[in-house]
Amino acid sequence: MPPLTHGADAVLDELRRLSDARPLRAIDAATLMTERAALCGFPMAGAVSAGGACHILPVRDGVIALNLPRDADWELLPALLEDDQAGASGWAGLAAMAAGHEADMLIDRARLLGLAAARADRMPPAETPMAWMRMAAPAARPLSVGPLVLDLSSLWAGPLCGHLLERCGARVIKVESPGRMDGARRGNAHFYGLLNQGKQCLSLDLADPADRGHLLDLIATADIVIESSRPRALRQWGIDAEQLVANHAGLTWIAISGHGRGAPQEDWIGYGDDAAAAAGMCVAMREAVGELVFAGDAIADPLTGIHAALAAWKGWMAGGGIFAALSLRQVVSHCLHRERARRGDAMRLDLARWHGAGSGQVPLRAIDRPVGAVGEDNGALLCARLPC
Amino acid sequence: MQLKAGTKLHSSVCDTDVMVIKGSGDVALTCGGAEMVIARNGASGDVDPAFASGTAMGKRYQSADGQVELLCIKPGKGTLAIDGVPLEIKAAKALPSSD
Repeated sequence: MPPLTHGADAVLDELRRLSDARPLRAIDAATLMTERAALCGFPMAGAVSAGGACHILPVRDGVIALNLPRDADWELLPALLEDDQAGASGWAGLAAMAAGHEADMLIDRARLLGLAAARADRMPPAETPMAWMRMAAPAARPLSVGPLVLDLSSLWAGPLCGHLLERCGARVIKVESPGRMDGARRGNAHFYGLLNQGKQCLSLDLADPADRGHLLDLIATADIVIESSRPRALRQWGIDAEQLVANHAGLTWIAISGHGRGAPQEDWIGYGDDAAAAAGMCVAMREAVGELVFAGDAIADPLTGIHAALAAWKGWMAGGGIFAALSLRQVVSHCLHRERARRGDAMRLDLARWHGAGSGQVPLRAIDRPVGAVGEDNGALLCARLPC
Repeated sequence: MQLKAGTKLHSSVCDTDVMVIKGSGDVALTCGGAEMVIARNGASGDVDPAFASGTAMGKRYQSADGQVELLCIKPGKGTLAIDGVPLEIKAAKALPSSD
């Protein structure tokens, strides 16, 4: 069993119960959490993440996780380490340089620079459950027509949320910017297809007032919006999530972030492995196997996607008016503390067994709906609104 | 002033703070028409109206020859310039293909 699958399966069970969706029956948490690594042939995670971009780095007074998934991230290393040669000799040179610095100083600077970094040697205490988690299961709503979902997100957590809603019977429109498409399109094609099949594809340039108008029109008719942008990125285009939920009574807004909303953390970026480290996942692994290592493949991403889908579905069933902020770190923290409290030693044994055995075999899911190109449905979706 | 990767610089006439991403050596870097400083010295002046188009949080600014690059870590009203030539905003980084 991959780490933390028990809680994730319980969330999927509730989504199945509420949606009564047949296509969801074939989906289990272990598959969702390991299918990317299986498709990409990623090795077992250790002090390097399965995907290879996130490393555990011992520093002067602790241990950090630093994630550099973009080539452009490497251009920022001289500023991070105040050394023109930083990054010139790959991870080995970087580790040697980082060893001389203090953890909090490196993390603060990384956050200013827009790099994903977190302490890997701490497990923050359990937090008060997020409001959306305490949301009561709503009374059943007649499900003759599924919700309309606008998926503005990219990479893994948000698109997985949109995918699960699509499996529940939602109509999903994936919105991308023409100059900045979902980066996952350049990754493994089967994995991209699994998470984005059956979504209509719309391309809108938010720098263009007309396109911004189209987006606001669509939001006004949508039941659910999924986004994973930093709030300042949407606000610069006049899109204020909380205000939109206040103005459109039926709307459920799913805001996915690395570390949560509010200053200063809403400006920090986070990906699946470093956010899991921030929540204490590497410490949980140390308790199980004796060393600080990563658990799973970007484990915060699939866990957040699964939780976000349930929050979205519940919000829609309750008639909207819900703003659900989910952070990768907070979701992992919630799952980790829940599983420690309920399973304790059994969880430690699972983690040790999983670490020793590798991810094992998961059945490869097939793609059964079309996968759209960027903006493929612009004609159909925009002609209905414009004389053309 | 001497630039070095990682140095934080402050505007002396507005709220702008930047971090040096790239660049070295002696450069006449101004914000709002006044030279930027390493430590805020309490001095205050006015933003030169000719250099008042402002800085935006998280944006990267570069010189035309690409030799100097700065990251805005606190926005303000002044325009960043070297030798009187305003710096250009660099396009946002592409999204990664995976994490």
